[in-house]
Amino acid sequence: MKNRLRVLRAEREWSQSDLAERLGVSRQSVNAIETGKYDPSLPLAFRIADLFALRIEDVFENPAKESV
Amino acid sequence: MAANPAQKRYLSRTIPITIAYLATIFIAAALVDDRSSVSAGVVALALLPGIAALGWIWALARLLVELDDEYLRMLEVRKFLVATAVVLAVSSVWGLLEMFTSVPRLPIFYIFPLWCFSLIFGQLVNRAKLDDGDCS
Repeated sequence: MKNRLRVLRAEREWSQSDLAERLGVSRQSVNAIETGKYDPSLPLAFRIADLFALRIEDVFENPAKESV
Repeated sequence: MAANPAQKRYLSRTIPITIAYLATIFIAAALVDDRSSVSAGVVALALLPGIAALGWIWALARLLVELDDEYLRMLEVRKFLVATAVVLAVSSVWGLLEMFTSVPRLPIFYIFPLWCFSLIFGQLVNRAKLDDGDCS
């Protein structure tokens, strides 16, 4: 699933490790989500959106709309 | 595996279990003669490594329960599934060969060690499919 995590992280000058620490997950998790290799669970997606004070759909691209 | 506390606990559990497994196998092999008759003592010695094997299974289950990072947990589950697929494939194919040809009989004892070694293959599949990269 495409997302803006890398951009949002870069805007705040956070490393993957910084973001991982703030989310309470591993750096591998952040990398896998950023590169679209892993789609987070809904609770983790909410945590990510909350951290950036955004809605989930502002962080993650809706795959259904993506194909339209 | 390294940093996650659940993975550290897993390692701290499996190292003594592995030592116990190997030690009990050597003890049983040294003390039980192939031609000796079945007795309570022989059965007990033969089952000792089985207790360690149950310990392994318990440690594996605890790893999945205690691993709070969902991505790392998924990687572990994928490894388990790949290892299970390898064991099912090998045991099924070899079993058929045993039934219809004269290949040597594969003791069931080897199934679990084979599954454990197949975890390495599972790890390689994870790396190939879900390389976690190294960028910051």
